[in-house]
Amino acid sequence: MKLTRREFIKNNAIAVTATTAGVTIPGFQRAIAAEGDDGIRWDKAACRYCGTGCSVLMGVKDGKVVASQGDPDAPVNRGLNCIKGYFLPKILYGKDRLTQPLLRKKDGKYDKNGQFEAVSWDEAFKTMAEKWIAARKKGPKAVGMFGSGQWTVWEGYAAQKLMKAGFRSNSLEPNARHCMASAVGAFMRGFGIDEPMGCYDDLEHADAFVLWGANMAEMHPILWSRLTDTRLTKPGCEVHVLSTFEHRCYELADNGMIFEPQTDLAILNYIANYIIQNKAYNKEFIDKHVNFTKTPTDIGYGLRDNDPREKAAKNRAKGKLSKISFEEYAKSVEPYTLEYTSKLSKVPEDKLLKLAKLYADPDKKVSSYWTMGFNQHTRGVWVNGLCYNVHLLMGKISEPGNSPFSLTGQPSACGTAREVGTFTHRLPADLVVKSDGHCKFAEKTWKLPAGTIPRANGKTDGADQSDISGKPMGPTLIHAVAMHRALNDGKMNCFWVQCNNNLQAAANFNDESLPGWRNPDNFVAVTDPYPTVSAMGADLVLPTAMWIEKEGAYGNAERRTQFWRQQVKAPGEAKSDAWQIMEFSKYIKVKDVWPDDLIAKKPEYADKTLYDVLYANGQVDKFPVVQVTDDRGNQYDNDESDHFGFYVQKGLFEEYRLFNSADGVPKKGHEMADFDSYHKARGLRWPVINGKETLWRFREGYDPHVPKGAGVKFYGKPDGKANIITAPYEPAAEPPDAEYPLWLCTGRVLEHWHSGSMTRRVPELHRAVPDALCYMNPKDAKKLRLRDGAKVKVVSRRGEIQTRVETRGRNRPPEGLVFVPWFDASRLINKVTLDQTDPLSKETDYKKCAVKLVKA
Amino acid sequence: MNICGILVHARPDGFGAVKKRLLSVKGVEVHGMSDEGRVVVTLEEENEDTMAESLLTVQRLEGVISASMIYHHNEEGI
Repeated sequence: MKLTRREFIKNNAIAVTATTAGVTIPGFQRAIAAEGDDGIRWDKAACRYCGTGCSVLMGVKDGKVVASQGDPDAPVNRGLNCIKGYFLPKILYGKDRLTQPLLRKKDGKYDKNGQFEAVSWDEAFKTMAEKWIAARKKGPKAVGMFGSGQWTVWEGYAAQKLMKAGFRSNSLEPNARHCMASAVGAFMRGFGIDEPMGCYDDLEHADAFVLWGANMAEMHPILWSRLTDTRLTKPGCEVHVLSTFEHRCYELADNGMIFEPQTDLAILNYIANYIIQNKAYNKEFIDKHVNFTKTPTDIGYGLRDNDPREKAAKNRAKGKLSKISFEEYAKSVEPYTLEYTSKLSKVPEDKLLKLAKLYADPDKKVSSYWTMGFNQHTRGVWVNGLCYNVHLLMGKISEPGNSPFSLTGQPSACGTAREVGTFTHRLPADLVVKSDGHCKFAEKTWKLPAGTIPRANGKTDGADQSDISGKPMGPTLIHAVAMHRALNDGKMNCFWVQCNNNLQAAANFNDESLPGWRNPDNFVAVTDPYPTVSAMGADLVLPTAMWIEKEGAYGNAERRTQFWRQQVKAPGEAKSDAWQIMEFSKYIKVKDVWPDDLIAKKPEYADKTLYDVLYANGQVDKFPVVQVTDDRGNQYDNDESDHFGFYVQKGLFEEYRLFNSADGVPKKGHEMADFDSYHKARGLRWPVINGKETLWRFREGYDPHVPKGAGVKFYGKPDGKANIITAPYEPAAEPPDAEYPLWLCTGRVLEHWHSGSMTRRVPELHRAVPDALCYMNPKDAKKLRLRDGAKVKVVSRRGEIQTRVETRGRNRPPEGLVFVPWFDASRLINKVTLDQTDPLSKETDYKKCAVKLVKA
Repeated sequence: MNICGILVHARPDGFGAVKKRLLSVKGVEVHGMSDEGRVVVTLEEENEDTMAESLLTVQRLEGVISASMIYHHNEEGI
């Protein structure tokens, strides 16, 4: 029987789905679209959206993406794709794609108050270079770059070099500061090395799951489907869910708990107390592998210096750990009894007890997952640490199924922001600019004179580093929230944003972000595929090649590095972020930004450009251009290599690898495979040693860095031991009061991803959830006489937005709390939020401020 | 024409009701399920808007714990 083409495709859809599901349907054999039979070229790519790191197969016909499917060979998603995957091909083809650089001009010249006019790349970069050179003369903090956990690995690496070595400025931050910084802080304090010890395989190995402030069902649907599978097929499997409002995950929960915001600190201490009181802890494990410590308390909320809450804080932003005994630790958690914790958190006693018993049961393998609920928290580093405390007390860590696991929201928050280290204080592979030795290692690796990179304190070998300004370098660190404040105060005059929508995303839009961007002294450039809120707030807009319009690499939450080839061409004049960074560096001369005494160490550099010394350094440019070809003989473009005349991605990656894989690197444990291996594999989890990836770190038999006989070794710390760090419950910065009686929590919804820059281009998706609603409890609505769908103003001390009430949605807040998603550019909820941060991680807390609702 | 293959997870005990709900969505066919609650579903739809709506509806149906896209083909004139 001859099938029509439509039947053929449908049969494929059924066969592929059935195979993935493990369901047999009589009469259907797997008939995956054979390559070439209809001119479609299939190739793998890491998904553009969340931090899960699914692999998708993209079908390209006549230079355009026409089909997609979950990659059946991918260990992460095993052929599955979430609903956002349906929209993947479409994000490239929005009608309002930017295709030309746009500069604000009046009378043929740049003017801050002018209208956007199309300009050439040459004019764009000339204008920008003039501004940057002038601003840099003021000092290292007068220029700044704000990148992304959506940058590819080499884009982040190119930016790291441009800012820290080229411009000699540590004013480089990623938007990951808003989502991952607290997780990083806790990893470094607890284990001395960043990123989770476990991996996604724990989703099948665990006997029980605990979700802490993570809506996995909507935000990490593929991991959720794997968790669901385990729950439904493994006898005795339990799911515990904690959040400040009820969401989709509660449908699968065996123990669903709603807690009062900020009391997660108390609940975790209660669990630790329960474990100790019942002598359930793993004594052998803690004797061998754990140190007990405490952290300073009453540390403020990361607000401006003049805020009364900061003046009142005894140990503002302090975090130095001091050793304590096990007995002192036990005493510190003693106040967190079941009665006290239940009263404070409003979680019924029986539910808390059930949770504590689960962790305390030595025969239950427990995996804990969290995302922004823990990280966007004014005590984010603390609360991450309190969860490790519980796992460490039980020794439930670094083995299959026992896994405290920090999920990420962006596709390369780990691979780029954290591993490449595009933070103000970091260098690649966990090195920091606070360490003179680390900086010297980076300078040697980059073939630059010692003293090029600004140290955190502006001193090398005990002496001041000199600056182009003629003054000593001085302190150089500046974090994301401080950057907007510095723009607002006119201290930072040039700002370049790539691959994120920070004007929309940053808290306190009215008082800090917008006045900072529109400050007449400042020149803001935004690299974007679409006219986002940020692009429209800029002075120069640079159109970018996105995702599979360039060769790329992402690193997901389980330490998996994944590559893809360039599948299609970018529209018009759009160029990738790496291209823009490297091309712009040709417009800056070394002598424009380096002082004489530094140039004296390499006089031949004086008249060279930053491009010459950073990228054409004989190291990055040593791999010739090749025709990119897959193992089936399909050929692919590489627009960057064609332009610069060498294999750009390979050169950047192989130089980056000198930080994590060369002999004698300062910090071991980050080893990666060579460039070509990743184009063949479905990703590899570092450390990769002799071509073999590592699933569970710090455990003998799984991690080659753990010596024979050690059993467990937390080798990120000099003595091989992890830190249990005690920290108390402390109240939130702005709890509700008589005037502003409700908690406001912000977050995402399934159909939109982050600020909606990509998903809101897809009309169908936009129509499905057109506006950000105010989700609230029906009883609160009744008290305020607000009907479902009624117009309402959400008002805080800083600003207000107007939206509509939703009491029957998928997000069901308890009385006293409202939830507003933040994807909607027409209802900027960040006019309302408070720019409070964790004083240790400098990450914003978007989950807790006080509001009132007023009928509109 | 858009053709999607979707894998739905449902609690096996209430599957009869979930199947009914699934079939009430425009363009949906149910082809089989496993004892553990994995359901093979296709969705066919000409109109892009309806397609997206149906996809979201499937995801939100009562009794559907998760829905994953497996395969998507978009081609005119078939």
